[in-house]
Amino acid sequence: MKPVPFTVKGTIVTTTSISSTRSPLRLRAKWRVVDIVVASVVGVAIGLVYFAWDQVYVPATAPLEAALPGLQSITYGIWLVAGVLGALIVRKPGAAIFVEVLAATVEGLLGAKWGLLTLEGGFVQGLGAELVFLVFVYANWRVFVAVLAGAASGLGMAVNDLTLWYAGASQGFASAYAICAVVSGAVIAGLGSWLLVRALARTGALSRFASGRSAAAAN
Amino acid sequence: MSVMTPVAGRQAVYRLNPVAKVVASAIIGIALVISIDWVSAGVALAIEGVLFLWSGLSPRRFFLRTLAVWIAAPLAGFTILLYGRPSGAVHFQFLFMQVTDGSIELAIATVLRVLAIALPAVVLFVTIDPTDLADGLAQVAKLPARFVLGALAGLRLVSLFLEDWRSLELARRARGVGDSGRIRRLLGQSFALLVLSIRRGSKLATAMEARGFGAPGKRTWARESRLGRGDAALIALGVLVAAAAVSASVITGHWNVIGA
Repeated sequence: MKPVPFTVKGTIVTTTSISSTRSPLRLRAKWRVVDIVVASVVGVAIGLVYFAWDQVYVPATAPLEAALPGLQSITYGIWLVAGVLGALIVRKPGAAIFVEVLAATVEGLLGAKWGLLTLEGGFVQGLGAELVFLVFVYANWRVFVAVLAGAASGLGMAVNDLTLWYAGASQGFASAYAICAVVSGAVIAGLGSWLLVRALARTGALSRFASGRSAAAAN
Repeated sequence: MSVMTPVAGRQAVYRLNPVAKVVASAIIGIALVISIDWVSAGVALAIEGVLFLWSGLSPRRFFLRTLAVWIAAPLAGFTILLYGRPSGAVHFQFLFMQVTDGSIELAIATVLRVLAIALPAVVLFVTIDPTDLADGLAQVAKLPARFVLGALAGLRLVSLFLEDWRSLELARRARGVGDSGRIRRLLGQSFALLVLSIRRGSKLATAMEARGFGAPGKRTWARESRLGRGDAALIALGVLVAAAAVSASVITGHWNVIGA
């Protein structure tokens, strides 16, 4: 990537250029330091949530779940929140993958059971959401796009799980698992993250982001 | 919480580059994912079982860290037993459940396969130090330094998050809003923590930028990360496990590509 002259860089952080969604794509796509750091902080925080969720959820229900015909993935949308949430906050290309992988890394470092495969899963899930935001050229952050991104993230998760862990499953099981994962992703990760970003914007915590400004303008 | 405590030990595996560990475990994983059969998984598992003697973990620690995998593998097998692709004689049928000769064979393969893929991924990850991982990802894997270091900075905030969490708890108590509804309180407090951490992140970004983080120019590294002979050996071992598993399976005619 071509280094950006410092003067140009300075203008990016002025308030007018942040609030404007009309700035050229190349400038909008450039990650500022605050984008990177806040995306990281969100990734780490959600990674802690993932780990806490692992502890509460997995040991108690795993034996029960093993007997379900693929319906277990209906709650797995929790593990998809980071990617969609991160992208909705910073609105930069690659944000969904970056934040989801980071959250998975934190989960793994804390001792999630799949070790390095936690990171791989995070990448595939983030990729699903990322592709949806890419299709909308990183310019549309409305609720239906968030829901689509959550659903695509769920699809990524289903493909990953069915390949890695349930490769021998019958078609009925595989379809039930995939459909539940997509629905869960759409509702929990898609709609949930969108509502969360709106609530965050209302507190003023996102004042340095376009997401915080457009939400504030809408109120 | 132990996210940022340095991981250290005397065994050789602790000195290996995290990137080499990621690569080795990925090679084994990719090779084993392609097929579902008990031969490739079993051969890989047998070789891994020997290699785990040098994993740098005491037997106790090894089983504690991999306990979840030992539980999850039979459960995944159980799922496949009931819902695996049916073939051959039917032994049991109830609602959507169907235990057949085919699904029994797939279930056995699933248990071995999950163990063979997940155990190295977990064992190699235990001995990875987060700071070493960041150094390796930026210098060896050449991922963009700003992102790797930003993530590392975020990771270092975890202990602060935990302090914030306790303060929030006390503050809510003092205000009399923390006593009813455990789940409600948990959600409300998590949201407050998220707001607090984003604010802290914004401030941290300003501080980092003021010290030149993200400025154009060549970055130098305090801790150098490079691949050595040991790392090459580890990757070679990964290739060996993968090659042995695949060839044993193909030669004995058990190779069974998933989804085919």
